[in-house]
Amino acid sequence: MIKLLKPGFTCFFLFALFQISFAQTKTITGLVSDDKGNMLQGATVTLKNSKTATITDANGKFTLSVPGNTQTVVVSYIGMVSQEIAVTGQSTIVVTLQSTGSQLNDVVVIGYGTIRRANVTSAISSVKEADIKNLPVAGVDQMLQGKVPGVTVTSNSGQPGGGVNVLVRGITSLNNNQPLYVIDGVPIHASTNGGGMDYLGGVNGQTEQSPLATLNPSDIVSIDILKDASAQAIYGKDGGNGVILITTKHGTNGGKLEYDVYFGQQEIQNKLPAMNLQQYAQYFNSVLMDPTSGVQDTIGEFKHPELLGPGTDWQDAVFQTGNIQNHQLSFSGGHDKNSTYYFSANYYDQKGILINTGFKRYSMRMGIDQQVKSWLKAGISTNLSNSDQTVAVTDGQQSVIAAMLYNSPATPVKNFNGDYVNSVPVQNVPFGNGQNPVALAELRDVHAKQSKVYGNLYADIQFTKDLSFKTQFNYDFQFTNNSAFQPNIVNPDGTIILSPSKMRVDKANNLYFGLQNYLTYNHSFQKHALNVVAGHEATFNRYENSQVSVVNLTQNIKSLAAGTPDPASPANGGIYEGSSESYFARINYTYDNKYSLSLSGRADGSSNFGPDKRWGYFPGISAGWTITNENFAKDGKTLTYLKLRFGAGSIGNSNSLGNQVYSTNIRLATNAVGLFGSSSVPGVIANVGNPDLHWESVVTYNAGVDASLFKRIDISLDVYKKITTDMILPTVLPSFAGLDPNPPNLSYQEIEPPVTNAGRMTNTGVDLGITSHNIQNKNFTWNTVLVFSHYKNELNALYAPGITEPGKSQAFAPVTLTITTAGHPVGSFYGYVTDGIYRSQDELAKGPDQGLAIGVQGLWLGDIRYKDMDGDGKITPADQTFIGNPNPKFTYGFTNNFTYKNFDLSIFLQGVSGNKIFNYSRTETESLFSIYSNQLTTVMNRYTAENTNGDLPRYNQYSQNNLKISDRFIEDGSYLRIQNVSLGYNFPVKWINHIKMSSCRIYISGQNLYTFTKYSGYDPELGAFNNNVLTQNIDYGHYPNPRSVTIGANIVF
Amino acid sequence: MKNKSIYISVALIIIAASCTKSYLNRPSLNGPTLDNYYTNQEQVEGATALLYNQVWYNWLDKAFHCIGEVYGGNMITSAGDPNYGNNTYVYFTVQGTDGQDLNAWQAFYKVAGNATVLMNTLQQIRSDANASFIDPAIAEAQFIRGVAYFFIARTYGDAPIVTDPVALASSGNLNVPRYIQKDVLRFALNDMQAAEDGLPEDPYQQGRVTKYSAAGMAAKIYLYMGNLDSAAIKANEVIQSGKYSLYPDYAAMFTTAKANNNSESLFALQWIAGGYSYANDIQAYAGPASLLKPDFGTGYSSVIPTLDLLNAYDPGDKRKGWSVMQQGYTNANWKNSNFPNGFTYDTSVGGVADDATHVTTGTRSNSLKYINGPADNGGNNPDPTSAFGDALNVYILRYADVLLIYAEGVLGDNASTTDAGALNAFNLVHTRAGLPPVTSLTKDMILHERRVEFAFEGDYWYDIQRQGFVKAQQIINSQERGTLNGNGTISSVHANFASESQLYLPIPSDEVVADPELAKPAVPYY
Repeated sequence: MIKLLKPGFTCFFLFALFQISFAQTKTITGLVSDDKGNMLQGATVTLKNSKTATITDANGKFTLSVPGNTQTVVVSYIGMVSQEIAVTGQSTIVVTLQSTGSQLNDVVVIGYGTIRRANVTSAISSVKEADIKNLPVAGVDQMLQGKVPGVTVTSNSGQPGGGVNVLVRGITSLNNNQPLYVIDGVPIHASTNGGGMDYLGGVNGQTEQSPLATLNPSDIVSIDILKDASAQAIYGKDGGNGVILITTKHGTNGGKLEYDVYFGQQEIQNKLPAMNLQQYAQYFNSVLMDPTSGVQDTIGEFKHPELLGPGTDWQDAVFQTGNIQNHQLSFSGGHDKNSTYYFSANYYDQKGILINTGFKRYSMRMGIDQQVKSWLKAGISTNLSNSDQTVAVTDGQQSVIAAMLYNSPATPVKNFNGDYVNSVPVQNVPFGNGQNPVALAELRDVHAKQSKVYGNLYADIQFTKDLSFKTQFNYDFQFTNNSAFQPNIVNPDGTIILSPSKMRVDKANNLYFGLQNYLTYNHSFQKHALNVVAGHEATFNRYENSQVSVVNLTQNIKSLAAGTPDPASPANGGIYEGSSESYFARINYTYDNKYSLSLSGRADGSSNFGPDKRWGYFPGISAGWTITNENFAKDGKTLTYLKLRFGAGSIGNSNSLGNQVYSTNIRLATNAVGLFGSSSVPGVIANVGNPDLHWESVVTYNAGVDASLFKRIDISLDVYKKITTDMILPTVLPSFAGLDPNPPNLSYQEIEPPVTNAGRMTNTGVDLGITSHNIQNKNFTWNTVLVFSHYKNELNALYAPGITEPGKSQAFAPVTLTITTAGHPVGSFYGYVTDGIYRSQDELAKGPDQGLAIGVQGLWLGDIRYKDMDGDGKITPADQTFIGNPNPKFTYGFTNNFTYKNFDLSIFLQGVSGNKIFNYSRTETESLFSIYSNQLTTVMNRYTAENTNGDLPRYNQYSQNNLKISDRFIEDGSYLRIQNVSLGYNFPVKWINHIKMSSCRIYISGQNLYTFTKYSGYDPELGAFNNNVLTQNIDYGHYPNPRSVTIGANIVF
Repeated sequence: MKNKSIYISVALIIIAASCTKSYLNRPSLNGPTLDNYYTNQEQVEGATALLYNQVWYNWLDKAFHCIGEVYGGNMITSAGDPNYGNNTYVYFTVQGTDGQDLNAWQAFYKVAGNATVLMNTLQQIRSDANASFIDPAIAEAQFIRGVAYFFIARTYGDAPIVTDPVALASSGNLNVPRYIQKDVLRFALNDMQAAEDGLPEDPYQQGRVTKYSAAGMAAKIYLYMGNLDSAAIKANEVIQSGKYSLYPDYAAMFTTAKANNNSESLFALQWIAGGYSYANDIQAYAGPASLLKPDFGTGYSSVIPTLDLLNAYDPGDKRKGWSVMQQGYTNANWKNSNFPNGFTYDTSVGGVADDATHVTTGTRSNSLKYINGPADNGGNNPDPTSAFGDALNVYILRYADVLLIYAEGVLGDNASTTDAGALNAFNLVHTRAGLPPVTSLTKDMILHERRVEFAFEGDYWYDIQRQGFVKAQQIINSQERGTLNGNGTISSVHANFASESQLYLPIPSDEVVADPELAKPAVPYY
């Protein structure tokens, strides 16, 4: 790659030197624009049959000296149809070029400026409004799924408004991996956690929300994804995970009123085969009267399973038909392009498929741009949004779905009086879950509410025709209000369903300000085009939160005012400030539309580091060569466009996992006042400070090809290598070191180990995007888009050899399911390897020592034999090994769009291949451990004395031998999903224009229609628990993604 | 000229936009830093106070019962309760992935780690000016660390020792070996000796450890080292000091915070009513629903006495009524909406699920120790408490233990003894329970006395374990660990204690993954 680059550079400089030549006679000037009226910078104006040429400047102007009188000039521009203009008498010409339909003219947002697609030298993917329109999901992050090569999007939960895991080119870091979202220059940083469920009891489950769910996707006009460091470097600070630049709509000339609407229904894709009451009674009887148990007779109603009904179907009780609606109204327009406006309002409401979950959003956007003076343009944009997510506990032992799956079908949801039931006695033995999952879901009310105001204010000063200065003030104010409530519910018979009543409110506000000042210099002369940006940026953010908990709410009134402070949970809160300052510069140079070079550099300072380590420096370089613009390749019939791109660069990450971890801080144990009668607050060491902590950096090498075949098929292929160095990580020590073994949980009772620059990771990958315009007739068009992403992740080093990062399940006692260690992919499943089931005494005698005595209460026929990996004859922790990789081998998206006359049809398939899932739910639903837990029907084919060939191990209540973390629960997570099919109809203009409509489209769309997979759980799309890459693809009471059918309309007046 | 002014104005804007150096300086706004803390006695005392409290929580929470009581055969867990390792502590099938195994390990090492970091930090800031309050604090932290390693040695046997976690974290080599149990005990003993030298004769606040707390713990460590003579000498040191005595109200010691830090308490964990991790939460799990549900929604009866223990009390031993709730138990101080005149323990409906006023555990009993009752609604229960827990201190070493250690130490390897001092020590404990004095002592008598005296205090498994494999196996496998059926017959369960390796809990699998050295044979520390 480097070798290729060198001759490229040499050529480039030679051309630059020799092409500057002079000729004299007559001067003509001109103006070049596209068919939409945009002035074209960098269009080539050549005197026909000569070498005389020039390039248009930023305002589309050119000046060319031509000999003699009558001449012909050729105006060409990539992606436009070239024009020949005969220049006879006139000295001024105006040229309007028509687009060829290629994307090369698209404007790509690159941070502190824009660039034409044709001049892009690094890896940037763009998504247009049309690609993501009308998808029935809350956030734009989810809409990117399968649309962008190199971007892997996984919904972490089907919870409306729930978390979305977006990985740009694989896993960049072990801490935060989510890309930096920048909306009109405003980075979206605020915390998006809706916690508090654990206050009501149990584990908190998945609490992460999508940071973009609060934003209205309908206001977006385009999304540009900076994938390699040469592109990101200008976003040096915290852009290491990729940068997603979102551009929102602005007004254009004229006036427009648009109304978009859709309504939909949602339902669960499939049900799991849980046993019904008859099956459960049979199972119960067979377990109870197993010869080894010594029990002679079964109990009560279970004696005659054939007389029993189906019992409670807990899945039917917990899942419901969800619905969804979205309304978007916008006004936009402008006058002479000097004054434009855009106003919109949006309402989105989704009722989840799990009872008492949902998401509601109201949002508004206003944008005004004004040419104040000929040299000054100013504008403001403001976005307001308010969202309310009603959350259920998911992904943990106490999640509604987990509890639902193993609750007994013998228990009704409610009794005849309409009261919830926890358990029913069958011959004096209580059956049922201690806590009724329907009651938990319906009675508990957990909300994550966010109000957000963000936007910017800018002024753009044109000093000279080449030099401009832009100052932009960005702001983002976010107010979160999370609450968790449960009433006190006691049945008339004294049975406690929930007690006591309690409520927690957690409020936070996050204020972010940023000020950018930068100069842009654009200069074109002859075939040279130069663009230079240099500037300064400073940001500040302040996060404040407070938390109050009350109990014993009078009449179960859902207000802090109705209760008394909870002594177990005193009020607390805190203030956290952070700031950053950066200097940046970038030079883009293009010669003759053939050679492009981009150099960038950035110095970033962050308050997250100690005084000596605050500054980091991040350079980037990239170059492009458009071969088809060379004379020798110009008129190819097959290969109509070919560009090579090479880039390298580095970029930083200052996420230091906590507040001021460079110093040793004291934690004030405010709860523990009163020890030995003391009235003062005790303080303990909170963390081990590390003054040497410094920036994490990501170095990327990228090589890419953009090609067009027959002017019909566009191919973009990138290969990359991404190396993350100095990864910021807490030192994960074994528990016996005595410091927090699970950092950075910031637990109030642990001493946090030092945070260090501790790891190195490499991702190599391929991104491929193919767009083919198969058929382009007047009445029928068909195009196909294929997106393919592959990455291979390997952790090269982690602090010191032998250190692992464990990923845990959300169980009563967290169990390590994955480990992340040098030489292996991040988050690899780790456990024992099963070696079949003991089916004879002989096998039992010959098997390895599994730490249990041979016998019914120890290791017995029907128990799982594990592989003795180290050959010491014993099954010990040393026999655990890597049993699966949750990272996919590749992901893909395949879209076909058809139009026939006024109909349009789009079919979008999306898939993942080669990843593994740890189906933790099966440790409950096929546990064969407790007779009181319901099981899947699969347990009927377990090992018993009569069924010695059973697939599953025996019922074993004595030990957890069969429930060890092992490949027993690992499943193939590959899937292919019919993600979206939509059929639309555009009403003919002549039908609608008499009601002043200019266009009207109605459509019906199906989302997540069918999934082809071998996975046995609800949904193979699992994502990462709270976006933590250490716990990917673990299914433990996961909220499945719904299937939706929507109908909608897009109406324009 | 025009250009020049533009460039100057641009330059000015850029300069004006640059920030001052302090712009990037954002120290923590929520607490002090080490640079300006631990400068007075109060701050240092606050730090040592926490070593009696939250650091022990993950052990107290459930592992306390699982290991000390369920493993030892004094308690059983309700059927397959995943909180309590399912039934694995009942059946003796605990494996390295067990949650309570890990909780105990993490808690003991957290105690040791916190104590060590504090010791080392205080050592660094020690000067002649602050020695008066720094030195006793260092000794106090060292005492706590010694107790933690004592628990580690008797729970896990061979185990790693870490004297400087911060140095370990920065060394990059985390592969610490296991050290032989004898050396872990010796490490704990050394800490006790250093603590004894540095601690005061009398507690500087009621409940703080003293020189004699360290001597008493040293006596107990000697017992586990098999050095009975030294155990007797150290125990006698405590007895001779005259600073401790048996508390007259045995039941009160475990049911009301009013008896906290009484004359019998040499070292007790200090809990504060209220929050998670600061309060004693035992009653939430061990208490009966009918007592706690109306107020707290807790009272899970997750661990209950075994039939074996219930049968172990001699007739006339009042400790049974002071330690166990059985049919007819009443407590006038404990009032809730269902028991406005005081709580009655009622199992009379036999076999049906619990209701508001009845409770039916598998052995028709609940432990009474560390049960504090519901909140103070009508001023009847004088003790502060909440759903998360109460302020009942948890004894690690009480004077009764010192007396029995003395008796055992004097008995030594003899089959029996009539030594007056030993008999006197034993009989002080024995007669408080309303039993007649004994005239001769054997090892089994002392072991039995310890079982009933310290039932539900988390110690019995260790007493069995230190008897060695043969005897421990004989004791454990003969215990009845079953429950009563609806008709009163016993559904019998017995443990399967088969291998000498079961004398110690397995080192948690996660730890072995993190440090493969732990899978290798132990090495000497000294």
